[in-house]
Amino acid sequence: MLHVMFQVGGAEYVLPASDVLQMETFSGATLVPGAPAHVAGLVQLRGQVIPVVDVRARFGLPPVERSLDARIIVVGRGERRVALLVDRAREVVQLRPEAFRDPPDLVAERAAGFVRSIAQSDARVFMLVDVEKIIGHDPLPAEAHHGEKT
Amino acid sequence: MTDSLHREEFLAGFVAEAHEHLAAARRAALAADEAIARGQPVPRPTRELFRALHTIKGLSGMIGVEPIVDLAHEMETVLRTADRAGGRLRREALDTLLQGLEAIEDRVGHVARRAPVPAAPRALLDALAQLEAPAQGGSAPALDVPPDLATKLGPAEREQLASGVAEGRRALRLDFTPSAERAARGLDISAVRTRVEAIAEIVKVVPRSMPREEGAPAGLVFTLVVLTSATSQELAEVVEAPLGAVQEIQVVAAAEPARPAEDPAPQRAGPHAFVRVEVARLDEALEHVSALLVSRARLARALDALAAAGVDVRSLRLGLQDHGRELRQLRTAVMRARLVRVAEVLERAPLLVRGLAQSGRKQVRLAMEVGEAEVDKAVGERLFPALVHLLRNAVDHAIEPPDERRAAGKPEEGTIRITAAHRGEGELELAISDDGRGIDLAAVARKASAPVPSTARELLDLISRPGLSTMSAPSRTSGRGIGMDVVRRIVESELGGTLDLSTSPRQGTTFTLRVPVSLTIVDGLTFACAGETYVVPTATVDELVDVDPERLIAGPAPRREGVSVRMLRWRGEAVPFFDLRDVLGLAPPGSPRKGIVLKRDGAAVGFGVDRMLGRQEVVIRSLHDPLVERAGIAGATDLGDGKPTLVLDLVALARTLPSTAQEGA
Repeated sequence: MLHVMFQVGGAEYVLPASDVLQMETFSGATLVPGAPAHVAGLVQLRGQVIPVVDVRARFGLPPVERSLDARIIVVGRGERRVALLVDRAREVVQLRPEAFRDPPDLVAERAAGFVRSIAQSDARVFMLVDVEKIIGHDPLPAEAHHGEKT
Repeated sequence: MTDSLHREEFLAGFVAEAHEHLAAARRAALAADEAIARGQPVPRPTRELFRALHTIKGLSGMIGVEPIVDLAHEMETVLRTADRAGGRLRREALDTLLQGLEAIEDRVGHVARRAPVPAAPRALLDALAQLEAPAQGGSAPALDVPPDLATKLGPAEREQLASGVAEGRRALRLDFTPSAERAARGLDISAVRTRVEAIAEIVKVVPRSMPREEGAPAGLVFTLVVLTSATSQELAEVVEAPLGAVQEIQVVAAAEPARPAEDPAPQRAGPHAFVRVEVARLDEALEHVSALLVSRARLARALDALAAAGVDVRSLRLGLQDHGRELRQLRTAVMRARLVRVAEVLERAPLLVRGLAQSGRKQVRLAMEVGEAEVDKAVGERLFPALVHLLRNAVDHAIEPPDERRAAGKPEEGTIRITAAHRGEGELELAISDDGRGIDLAAVARKASAPVPSTARELLDLISRPGLSTMSAPSRTSGRGIGMDVVRRIVESELGGTLDLSTSPRQGTTFTLRVPVSLTIVDGLTFACAGETYVVPTATVDELVDVDPERLIAGPAPRREGVSVRMLRWRGEAVPFFDLRDVLGLAPPGSPRKGIVLKRDGAAVGFGVDRMLGRQEVVIRSLHDPLVERAGIAGATDLGDGKPTLVLDLVALARTLPSTAQEGA
């Protein structure tokens, strides 16, 4: 199966290519006051206004200066369109279903359900992400909102 | 792949068409219901129901949805029997047919969701099969027409003619003789039909063979049997026929004459040309218009830059002005295409009320006075659930049982009235009123453990509390579904409208909804706040004021629940004033130079911003994603830079602020 590979915080993740509608470079998003902290804002693509999930923030990683490599990957879920903001995304990789294994318990626990399984190909390890979970609106514990006073 | 694609398209078409015929069937059933209540036969509704079901059966057969075919078939049989008996349909038969329509609709829903379609309910099929021909009723009325014509007019048509005549119309027959010469002038039988329909109700068109020598070059004459209030001459004139082509038909009523029907299902008279358009296509057109508006804003900006650089731009400016006007007209034209009649939005309301009244053992009449009022399809769709709830409430809680009404000196039958009218620019006012018992303020207060409300606004706040019901036990119908809180959310938050009510004991209650006719394009003010650009719809703003930060009055406890409030002197009163950057959580409160003053539920409130940028028409795209749906954000728009700019709903935002939320929860 064809997968789109992206990087966040140095690690390599994949999601099924069939979930991906388009990929674009990232040049900023419109801040949405009151949205969860992992929502980077809104972008407009082909006339559609789409929320952007900052995958880095969603994974609980510290923020970094966005480089020119930053990409947004637009995924479709029914009527919903959500863009995932990642550090970089370039490759498409072919991974057979049998290449996937359950993640080790420790990893699964740390990944708070974002990683569904792990595939090894040559010397590389790819983590298959749970798109539903990433774009879900159930707040993770101790999550702040934009504009919330602390 | 292509097969499934075709099937996909076909299914979508099926669902759309099935809904249309179901709607026609419901209208016919309703007309039948009213006539049956008056003890009249229902020839026309019977045939309309039959035709709708026949079409649904055919459509369902084509895509192989057997459960619908089975249901429609049994229903057709019942209707055929009724038709043969001159349109005499019994109440029980109609009730069973209504159940059948519901069952069909449910199955069409399954098809729409691409879910497996459940089999037709056996009990219902049996009930339909057991319905016999109506026992009562006399023989059909006699007509003085040539025998060959008489044999073509069945009992149903005769009944239809008889009731038409009883209403005061005349039964006429019009002979139309087709010829090559007439056809060349565009006068063929379908043109004749259309023209006659404009002034008469066509009961039947009978083709009759006629010897050629008698002035019938095609050997054929069409006889149109009609009911009309027009004169014979008028009828002859519309089809360019000699007066002799029109003859009156004498109807001799049968033993049991039909009583006059007061309102035969109103039909839209006159020739209308319609095409059915998918909403998606209209949206696409609207998208393009939106894109034009956006590029126009960009042009205007470039023009300003040129002018600033000293270029003579007068002719360009004129051209752009014309362009703007044409664009507005184009936009209006496209928006109009999206409008549907309020009557259409409420098409299911009568059956709903009928069902509710039956299960609640109430007698309720629904009076709809919605005229030709129109509303955007999307607005209508969003509004409908709110209206359904208000109707449910009216039937279940407001209208008293018949004995209680009698004791109170009221007619046993309660009345619920829906009125709709356009108010001002682009606003629709809908009122739902009942002549029931009125809202018991004390009971509501007790239930909510709150003081008795003294204003309509306070009462509305109380009854809009989630989960509040004034009934000790939830009734079968109102106990589920949505509550007043949802009605209010739909009207106020989703549609940006207002909801009001007035109630008086023993007299009844009226809910008044004001909603925009269309949502998408508004006149907006753009402004800067903490480095971000925002838009606010001009219509919601009362005044833009210059703010002298020195003169803002800070109270002794300026910071409440994370937001700082000061006071602004405005028109002689002290108005609560918030720095928008603080409210939005963008930055700590600063020294805003501009203020936007607006009314929140009648009370003024001010928001401080950095500076105003301009005024322009904007296309609002609503934000439905749960990640970004927030109170106070009406949607996003493109100001010409290809980036979304947030359109704020400052009224809704004000409602979220603690210091102005004096009442309610």
